[in-house]
Amino acid sequence: MTRLPSATAATAHQRRWFAELQAQVAAGAPLALVNADAPQEIFRAMGIPYVVNQWWASIVAAKRRTQDHLARLRERGYPDYTEQYSSTALGSAFDTDPGTAPWGGLPQPSIVLAETTGDASRKIFDVWGEQPGVEFYPLESAAAATVPERWWELMPHRWEEAVGTDRLDLMTGELEGLIRFLEQRTGRRFSEQRFAEVMALVNEQEERNRRTRDLIAAARPCPVAVTDSIPAVMVPQWHRGTGWGRDAARNLHDEVAERIAAGSAVCPGERARLMWVGRGLWFDLDFYQRFQDRYGAVFVWSMYLAIAADGYVRHGDDPLRALAARFAAFSDQLYTPPWSAEWYVKEARSHGVDGVVHLVSDDARGSWATTRALRAAGIPVLELHADNVDARRSDPAYLDGTVGGWLEAEVLPARADA
Amino acid sequence: MLPGPVHPVPGPVAGYVGADVPVELLTAAGYTPVRLAGSPSEDASPGRAYLGGGLDPVACSILTRLLAGTYGPLDVLVVSRDCEASLRLFYVLRELHRVTDVALPPVHLVDVLHLPHRTTTRYVLAKVREFRSWLGGVDDAALADAVVAHDRLRARVREIGALRAQRRLTGTEMLDVVRTACTRPVAEVLPLLDTLLTELAERPARPGHPIHLTGSSHDDPAVYAALEDAGLLVVGEDHDRGDLWALGDVGLPDPGRLELALAERYQSAGPAAPRASIRDRAAHTAAAVRDRGAEGLLSYVRRFDDGPPWDFPAQRAAAGVPAVLVDRQDYGGVDAARVVRELHLAVAA
Ligand code: SF4
Repeated sequence: MTRLPSATAATAHQRRWFAELQAQVAAGAPLALVNADAPQEIFRAMGIPYVVNQWWASIVAAKRRTQDHLARLRERGYPDYTEQYSSTALGSAFDTDPGTAPWGGLPQPSIVLAETTGDASRKIFDVWGEQPGVEFYPLESAAAATVPERWWELMPHRWEEAVGTDRLDLMTGELEGLIRFLEQRTGRRFSEQRFAEVMALVNEQEERNRRTRDLIAAARPCPVAVTDSIPAVMVPQWHRGTGWGRDAARNLHDEVAERIAAGSAVCPGERARLMWVGRGLWFDLDFYQRFQDRYGAVFVWSMYLAIAADGYVRHGDDPLRALAARFAAFSDQLYTPPWSAEWYVKEARSHGVDGVVHLVSDDARGSWATTRALRAAGIPVLELHADNVDARRSDPAYLDGTVGGWLEAEVLPARADA
Repeated sequence: MLPGPVHPVPGPVAGYVGADVPVELLTAAGYTPVRLAGSPSEDASPGRAYLGGGLDPVACSILTRLLAGTYGPLDVLVVSRDCEASLRLFYVLRELHRVTDVALPPVHLVDVLHLPHRTTTRYVLAKVREFRSWLGGVDDAALADAVVAHDRLRARVREIGALRAQRRLTGTEMLDVVRTACTRPVAEVLPLLDTLLTELAERPARPGHPIHLTGSSHDDPAVYAALEDAGLLVVGEDHDRGDLWALGDVGLPDPGRLELALAERYQSAGPAAPRASIRDRAAHTAAAVRDRGAEGLLSYVRRFDDGPPWDFPAQRAAAGVPAVLVDRQDYGGVDAARVVRELHLAVAA
């Protein structure tokens, strides 16, 4: 089936944007490197260009350069075996020959922003902060003792209730500090009005993603490949708060709707609908295709569109607090039970999946609870033990054998009985 | 040294995980706070089945022991956020409560954070208050008494720790002092520590090559014992079951500010590996090496304890003594002969 125009357009846009960014930074613009789960909208509103840490890691992985990036860390005495997804970009900072780097290389940032999640990711950013001309602005990553189960119903409007006042007070205070820090560091101004516009654009974009997700959930057969929907959602996600990002989400929606109307299928003989839980397998993007070809098994779901649909929209009169609400519990939505576990079950049901492939890496967060909740809901789950960027532990033969065996033994027979 | 625990803890018991639980509140609420430890010699696969294969094995061991009832009856269970593994342990415990009928005590998370900012203090203060109300019925007078008692306990442990500069006690013995101080009622431990201080004043120096130990914290003496049997002497460390445990007092401010004093003490307690910045850790290491006269720096890191290896290059640069990193070690295990050999090589280099 032909590629989704949105996916192609997104990739092309991303290349143009990155080339422009390199030129801007070469001309003296500040550059921020920002973690995927940290608030980027303030940079957008202030016109400070930024690169998302994990996006860059995925580019490096797609170019199969992760190992030499990790080797640069090892040479400097840092571990190459923890949080590789977060530390890859740091390897770019130590590149002695940026001319040969993916996409012409990552320009050296002047500001890095991350939440102090995990035990290592904060340290990775500490090392960034030690580089000449780079400053690290750390944000706390607060945890809640009690959380609501059906957060997706609360988040758009009742986020104060869902996230909790203490966490919101904390992050709002930190964001006020961030604005002051950026004003001083870059000389750029923060306009309240411009920020409100950015926040409104993000809500529009994610509302469109929500409609797209709902279309795909209801469609039989599946009209889009995950390998198309991932870039078509994620690239605009890194540009959220722009007109381009919003329009890209609209185009994606319209293309999906057209395909459904035309009855087109990713896999004409669709025999099983699968859900992919976990980060994308960046180093082996053919993976998803192989199961369609061999078994008629289609991956109809990945978290990227679904989290865009449910995880980002925050309405409210106070845009800064709404932004805090977008990020104060961001990784909880995906990784912290019961939030995450109940959400995966809801998504599995609404998409009518026959089985879930659950990528469990070494730093698996909340995996037991997710698998348990899905199985308790009567959905077959395969726990696939692999890492999403470190191909050393995930060769195709292993992946294909494991997933193929499970499809043959569990998923396809159940579907045939139904 | 200290007599072992011969009798069970009297009265209600609060089991707790991690260094960041404001134990003063537990004492004031009438519990004996007992810090839970894992055991490297026990099979931890039941806990690992819930927590996954990529997490510090200490957490897997603690969960296994909780499920097996190894700690005896616990009236409440309090988990802090001192590292990622503790937090994930809390999430699993909360989920076990929610979706299974596994018998577990009521569990609470105290989310103490550590960035040195006023925004963080206000958050920690809210968490201290939340914890207090979860406990129910802690009155101000009892809290003030508990603060005084725990400050006194920390002061004694600091005095004992300082004697390590004169090598009056081994690292293994120090670990035992802290273990006692965080598993027995304060009133019982204070006189023991007084006696110990008197004994130590007379004691000749312990033998061994003096080192500062950094990296993973130890809830079990196996690694210390192996290192010290091999001819090293751990004169200092930066572990939350060692010198760091005793750093910093709550003090006794106006009665109206007790909660704030607790918040500030726990927010800025010593720079523990999982939460402090690389820079703070390196500065702390350099000072501790100097104060205790350590002649070597060893970073010992358990597998899946992800923070410490990132600290090491800066610690080595700051310490000014030969330094060795042994990482990805099995829980409770160490090749002590290799460590000694590498330290010798580092000295030669
Ligand atoms: S995979 Fe997870 S960490 Fe990576 S960009 Fe997506 S949401 Fe963020």
